[in-house]
Amino acid sequence: MMPLLMMLSIFMLLRGHNLPGGGFIGGLLAASAIILQIVAFGPKTAQRILPVNYLLLAAFGIFFGAIWGLPALFAGLPYMQAFWLPEPIPGVGKIGTPVLFDVGVYFTVIGVTTKIALLLVEEPTIFPLPTMKSAPVEHEEGA
Amino acid sequence: MLYPLVLIALVAAPVALLARFPGRERIAWGLALIPLSIFGLTLALAGPVWEGGQVSERIAWVSALGLDLSFTLDGLSLLFALIISGIGTLIVGYAGHYLGADSGLGRFLAYLMLFMGAMLGLVLAGNVLTMFVFWELTSVTSYLLIGYKHDYADARRGALHSLLVTGGGGLALLVGLLLLGQAAGSYELSDILAAGDLLRAHALYPAAVILILLGCFTKSAQIPFHFWLPGAMQAPTPASAFLHSATMVKAGVYLMARLSPALGGTALWDVTLAVVGGATMTFAAIVAMRQFDLKAMLAYTTISMLGALTMQIGLGGKYGAEGVATNILAHALYKSALFMLAGVIDHECGTRDLRRLGGLRAYMPQTMVVTALALLSFGGIPVMFGFVAKELMLEAALETELGATMSLLAVAAIAITAVAYLVTGWRLFSSTFLGQRSLAAMQQHVTDPALGMLIGPGVPAVLSLLIPLAFLGPISGLIEPASVAIYGKPIEVKLALWHGVNPALLVSLSAIVIGFGLARFGEHLANLRGWPAWSRGDMIFDRLIERTLAGATALTRAIQEGRLRRYILITAVTMLIFVGVPFLSFGLGSIRLDLDPQLQFYEILAAALIPIGVIATIKARTRLGAIISVGMVGAMVALLFVLFSAPDLALTQLLIEVLSTVFLLLVFSVLPVRFESFSEAWVRRRDAIVATVMGVLMGSLVLATATNDAFAPLAPFFLENSLEQGKGTNVVNVILVDFRGFDTLGEITVLFIALLGIYGLLRLRQGKGDATPERVTATEPAAEPVDTKR
Repeated sequence: MMPLLMMLSIFMLLRGHNLPGGGFIGGLLAASAIILQIVAFGPKTAQRILPVNYLLLAAFGIFFGAIWGLPALFAGLPYMQAFWLPEPIPGVGKIGTPVLFDVGVYFTVIGVTTKIALLLVEEPTIFPLPTMKSAPVEHEEGA
Repeated sequence: MLYPLVLIALVAAPVALLARFPGRERIAWGLALIPLSIFGLTLALAGPVWEGGQVSERIAWVSALGLDLSFTLDGLSLLFALIISGIGTLIVGYAGHYLGADSGLGRFLAYLMLFMGAMLGLVLAGNVLTMFVFWELTSVTSYLLIGYKHDYADARRGALHSLLVTGGGGLALLVGLLLLGQAAGSYELSDILAAGDLLRAHALYPAAVILILLGCFTKSAQIPFHFWLPGAMQAPTPASAFLHSATMVKAGVYLMARLSPALGGTALWDVTLAVVGGATMTFAAIVAMRQFDLKAMLAYTTISMLGALTMQIGLGGKYGAEGVATNILAHALYKSALFMLAGVIDHECGTRDLRRLGGLRAYMPQTMVVTALALLSFGGIPVMFGFVAKELMLEAALETELGATMSLLAVAAIAITAVAYLVTGWRLFSSTFLGQRSLAAMQQHVTDPALGMLIGPGVPAVLSLLIPLAFLGPISGLIEPASVAIYGKPIEVKLALWHGVNPALLVSLSAIVIGFGLARFGEHLANLRGWPAWSRGDMIFDRLIERTLAGATALTRAIQEGRLRRYILITAVTMLIFVGVPFLSFGLGSIRLDLDPQLQFYEILAAALIPIGVIATIKARTRLGAIISVGMVGAMVALLFVLFSAPDLALTQLLIEVLSTVFLLLVFSVLPVRFESFSEAWVRRRDAIVATVMGVLMGSLVLATATNDAFAPLAPFFLENSLEQGKGTNVVNVILVDFRGFDTLGEITVLFIALLGIYGLLRLRQGKGDATPERVTATEPAAEPVDTKR
C-alpha cells in the first residue's frame, strides 16, 4: 500500500495546479500513508522503512517554501512574485516558483502530521504496554 | 550626505571587536580615528549651518506610512553631533587604557560605536519617527553598556532599571509623537516646527505634550524618574562619561529644545519645564553634596545640570535659548572630564570612595591640575567656561516672561545650586588630593596614569579654560545657530566674559562667596543625619517591579489554569464579546434568508445529517461512539463540498477526517471506554449555552458574509486571472500558492509552531517527570477526593 499511496500523493501534489490536488492534499495523503504504517506495524518499523526526521522535514518545508519567494526580490519585484519556466517538463508539468512553494507546503504538512502521530504513539503515558510489547517482537524478527 | 555620519559609526561597531587582542591601548586610539573622522566630516558638511541655513536629505523607506529616513543638520544638531563625535573620540582612546587589562574591551567598544551611531541618528533625524527609532536604539545600547559587567548583580539591576524607565518613557514618547504628527499633518520636523500655532490650538495638544514630556523626563532623569541615573553608574567609567553625562541623558533635553519653538509658549509647557527642571536641579545638587562615591557624586550633579537645562527651556526667551546651548557644551566638556578623572583615580587607587582617598597631590600632580581645571568650570568660577554658561542661566531666570514669582524662584534655585556645586567640588577635590595620605594611595604605588589616559580628560578640561579666554568668537558662531533653532527666531549671540556689573554677576559672586564659606563644613553637611527616604527612588521602583511581576503571575494563574475546557471557555467568551457584540450592532442587517429554488432532496439529506451527527456526539455514552458520530459530521460536510463542486475542499476534508479519527483513537485509547460526568449540572448547562451561542454566531457570520452585497465578490477576479497570471486552471490551488502565497507561508509556519508546542508538551515533560507545575495542578483535584473517602 505504502508505495502506491506515496505515488498517489506525489501525483496529487503535481497535478494540483490544474486539477484538484496540491501541496496540502498531497501532504495529507502521504502522511496518511505513513500513519497507516505506524498503526499497522508500530512506530519502530515505520521509522526503519522511512528513516526521516519529521521535525526537520517540517522545518525544511517552510524553508524550502520561503526561499522560492526570494527570486522576485532579486528582480526588484514584491516578495513571492511568480516565475515560470517557459516550457512544461514532460511528465511533471509546468514548473514555476509557485509549484516549488507548493512542494514546501507538501513537506511541511507531511512533517507536522506524521510527527504529531509519532509523538502520540511514542508517548509512554499513552501507550505503556505497546512499547514494552514491541521490543520483544523486534527481537524475534531479528532472530 | 548626512547619513554616512550615522552609518560610519554603526558599520564600525564590528571593527571595534579588534580591540579584544593585546596592544589594546594602541588599537583603541586607532579606533578613535573613526569618531574623529565623523567629527571632521560633520565640520566639512556644516558649511551652510554657519550662515544660518541647514542641510537636509531624505531616503525613501516606508513611504506609505510617512516613514522616510530623513536627516537634517541645523545649528542644534551640529552642536550635538560635534559633542558626540568629539567627546566620543577621547572616550574611545581613554577606554583602551581604562579597560586595557580586559579582553572584553572589543565588545565594549562595539557597543559604544553602536551607541554613537544611534545618538548621531537621533540628533540628525529630520523626521520624528526616524528620531524615535534611534531614540530606542540609544536605550538598548545603553542597557548593554551599563550591564557590561554582567556577572555583577548591581550592574544587571542598574541596566534593567535604566532600560525599564527609559523604555517605558519611550512608549509614552512614541504615542506623543504620533499625536503630534496627527495634529501637524506630517511627521517631518520642519513641518511640525512650522505648524506651531496650529499645534498649540489643537485638541490633542495637552495629551501630546504630556506624553512627549514623559519620554523626555525619563530619558533625561528628571524628578521623579531620576533614580535610574545613579544606578547606571555601574557601567564602566568610559560609558558613564560618554552616555550618562555628555550625550544620552541629554537626548531628552535635545528633544525638548528641538520642539520648544512649536510646543512652547503655553503655560503647560513652560511652567512644567521650569518647575520640574528647577526642582530637579536643586534637589539633585543638594543630594550630590552628600555623596561619598565619586561617581555617585558626579551622577547627581549631572541630574542637577539636566534639570537646569530643562528649566532654561521652560524659562524661554533669548537668554534661555542661549543658556541651553552654552550650558550643553560647557557641561559636556567639564563633566566628561570629571567622569574620566574619576575613572583615572579609581583605576590607580582601586577605590572611588572619598573616605578611603586622600593626599594624592604628592602622587598624581598632573591629575590634580586637570581635575582642578574641570572643577573650576563646574563650580562656575570666573574666566572658566562654566562661568559664562552660568551667567546666561541667571540672565534667563531674570529675563523670563513667566512672571516675577517664577523669576525670583528660579534665581534662588540657581543660587542654591551654585553654592551646592561649590561645596561638592571642594569636597571632591579636598578629600581626594589634599589631607592625609590614604592607605589606598600608599599601598598601591599610585602614580599619574599614562599620558594617553590623561589626554581624555585633559582636552575638555583645558578647553574649559581656553574657550572663554581665546575662542569665544568661534564658539559664539557655533552657539548662535543652535540658539536660533531652540528659540525659533533669529537672534544674535555674542558670548562674553564681562557683561559689566549686572544683577546676574552679583548673584553669581555672592553664591561663590557663600559657597566657599560653606565648603569648610562640607564633611559635616555630608554626614548630617535624617535624610528623607524618598530620595531612594530605586528602592520604590524595585518594589514596583516585584508587584507587577506578582500581578502578572496571578493573572496567568487565573487564566491558564491548565484545563482544556477552561481555555476553550475563555476563548469562546472572549470571541463572543469582541466579535458577537459588533456583529449584533452592525452586521445583522446584511443577513438574507432566501431558499435556493433548485434545492435537491439529497442536498437536504446531507445537510440534515450534520446536526443529527452533532447531537449523537453529545449524547454518545462511549468514546468510540462519539468519535464515529464526529466522523459522520465530517463526512457529510465533505459530501456537501462535493455536491457544491468543491473537490479540493472535499478531498482535504476527507483526509483531515481520516487523520483526526486516527489521532482521536490514539489519545482516547488510554481513557475509559465510557464517559463519566464529573462536572456539576450548572457547569454543563453554562457550557451548553456558550457553545450554542457560539455556533449561532459563527453560522450567522458565514451567512452574512455569503449574502452581503456591500463588497464586490472576489471570485470573478480569481476565475479570470487564474490561468493568465497564475498559469493554472485549479483556481483554489492557484489562490493558495500564488495569489495568497504569503498567507499560505504564514499558515504552514503556524502548523509548524503547533507541532513544536505538541512536541514540547509531550516530550520535554518526560525528563522532569512529575516535578512540572502542570502535572502537579492536574493531579491535585484528583488526589483530594481520595483523601476524604479515607
